[in-house]
Amino acid sequence: MKISNILRLMFGYRTSCIGALIILAVSSVAIAADVIAPKHYSDVDIVKKLQPPSWKCIFGTDHYGRDVFSRVVYGTRIALWVGLLVVLVEALVGVGLGLIAGYYGGGLDKVILAITDMTWALPPIVLALGVITLIGPGLTQVVAAIALVSWPPFTRVVRAKMVSLKEREFILAARSIGESSLNIIFRYLLPNIVPSIIVLMTLTLPSAILSTTALSFLGFGAQPPTPDWGAMLSEGAAQLIIAPWIATFPGIFIVITALGFNLLGDGLRDILDPKLKI
Amino acid sequence: MEHLVEVQDLKKSFLTKGGIFGKSSDVKAVDGVDLYLNKGETLGVVGESGCGKTTLGRLVLRLIKPTSGKINFDEVDITNLSERKLLWLRKRTGMVFQDPSASLNPRMNIRSTLKRPLVVHGIKDKNTIQKRIIEMLEKVGLNEDQLERFPHQISGGQQQRVAIARAIMLNPDLVVLDEPTSSLDVSVQAQILNLLLKLQRDLNLTYLFITHDLVVERHVSDRIVVMYCGKILESADTDELLGNTMHPYTVSLFSSTPIPNPHLKSTNRFIVGGEPPSLIHPPRGCRFHPRCPYAEGKCKKVEPKLVEAAKDHFLACHKFEEIDLLTYVKRFWKLMERLN
Repeated sequence: MKISNILRLMFGYRTSCIGALIILAVSSVAIAADVIAPKHYSDVDIVKKLQPPSWKCIFGTDHYGRDVFSRVVYGTRIALWVGLLVVLVEALVGVGLGLIAGYYGGGLDKVILAITDMTWALPPIVLALGVITLIGPGLTQVVAAIALVSWPPFTRVVRAKMVSLKEREFILAARSIGESSLNIIFRYLLPNIVPSIIVLMTLTLPSAILSTTALSFLGFGAQPPTPDWGAMLSEGAAQLIIAPWIATFPGIFIVITALGFNLLGDGLRDILDPKLKI
Repeated sequence: MEHLVEVQDLKKSFLTKGGIFGKSSDVKAVDGVDLYLNKGETLGVVGESGCGKTTLGRLVLRLIKPTSGKINFDEVDITNLSERKLLWLRKRTGMVFQDPSASLNPRMNIRSTLKRPLVVHGIKDKNTIQKRIIEMLEKVGLNEDQLERFPHQISGGQQQRVAIARAIMLNPDLVVLDEPTSSLDVSVQAQILNLLLKLQRDLNLTYLFITHDLVVERHVSDRIVVMYCGKILESADTDELLGNTMHPYTVSLFSSTPIPNPHLKSTNRFIVGGEPPSLIHPPRGCRFHPRCPYAEGKCKKVEPKLVEAAKDHFLACHKFEEIDLLTYVKRFWKLMERLN
């Protein structure tokens, strides 16, 4: 399928169209953060602390007098960047293991599957917390921790696809012309799995963003004054009664971004691979 | 005549697992087959589905490993060679599959599909590759403007032409054709068959032609081998086998060809009932005896050996001297001729 065809289908299909528009909007905000934000995210103005939303300062200010709107806008960058990074690392680990397990089968397959299922069975946040206590807090560490615990769906999907594709005649045909195993995996099998991987990536991105915000909320992720949405939520939680806007606006953005990726993922799944069920 | 391929007592069984408590059992897909292929001839392998003919084709190309027996290709024993040591065989052989849409990589365009055999076997020069691809396209009757297309963008007949071009890209000696026409339209079938015959003449190819259709075999094969339940029941030159058929199974096989004549009485037909037996527990004695109208005591106990019943006509049947099938055979071909 050509990319232009996929784009046409994507925008012609209501779910994925709404999703794509949301992601487009959120990404533009991230790219143009310096232009959109009226102030820098760490500009402190203690005189104007805890101001409610107004026309001058549309999301209000927090307890240091920082502009919540500017912080939310800059936070978009972190959320998208971290989300993408987590998903890429997850895909790399998960797809690699899935390819090996699916192609070679046998004992190797059993070992990889056992590790996958064990990782999957544990609650990801708890496991990530365990990893963080080992390697220390910080955004990079959070990315590593989350990627390390949430790759199993990739392995499962890739392995399942490999097992069914491997039996198709075009793989036998590839062997009949003398293709090596490596070539069969990367030229024949992988290209047929890529659509499923892309769909899975868009569907896991929101949960990656949510997990990072959760860890930041608990204080393990971005350290102040980084404008991370999760960290902002946790700072705002203390003032939830007297200044609810501090936590509310980052919360809304988290929901919108996650929703955008979910909608796009659902749509892409229908367009690229109607048979894939996750 | 020189033999290109020699197969001796070839056996292949697949292991099936029977659940947690079930016993795992052997499916004997090919169970003791001897055959040879002369250079430049077409050997037809016929039998109904599940008789092991596809497995036999894959074994000859060593795409799968035999359980026991021996395979020689051009006087080299290839039975136990590792994949790496088989690269020369891959260059000298090709395979065409039944369903062209399944045998072409859906994410690879026609140009890359045809390029791969050359690249794999060390031809890297772009001009040489391009020239060879164009030459092959002409040979199989495709246009240059189809090169950038993907398999789903061309018709079934064109897909099969691409698959054939891929198989003969490296000027092989042997091509295994596994029901190359049975998933195509009748009108396209004839075109593909004629193309295959023309290529054989031009490139001096040897064919192992696997099909369930004896009428197709009559058109293309020099010799025919009839398989049933993993074994060979009858083999002879095409004219001898079809004109002087001796095994009841072979007669039933071509007698089941549909004849478009509503007035034809079923008594003119030789049809056996039942179904092909289980490959896990094949019948004792002659494997065809549960379905054979002539079967008696000996057939149920002793497995018949393949013997030379007439000159170059091999047969595995205890009763061929007593039964006369020629009336059926003659009547059938008379009917077919009247149709043509």
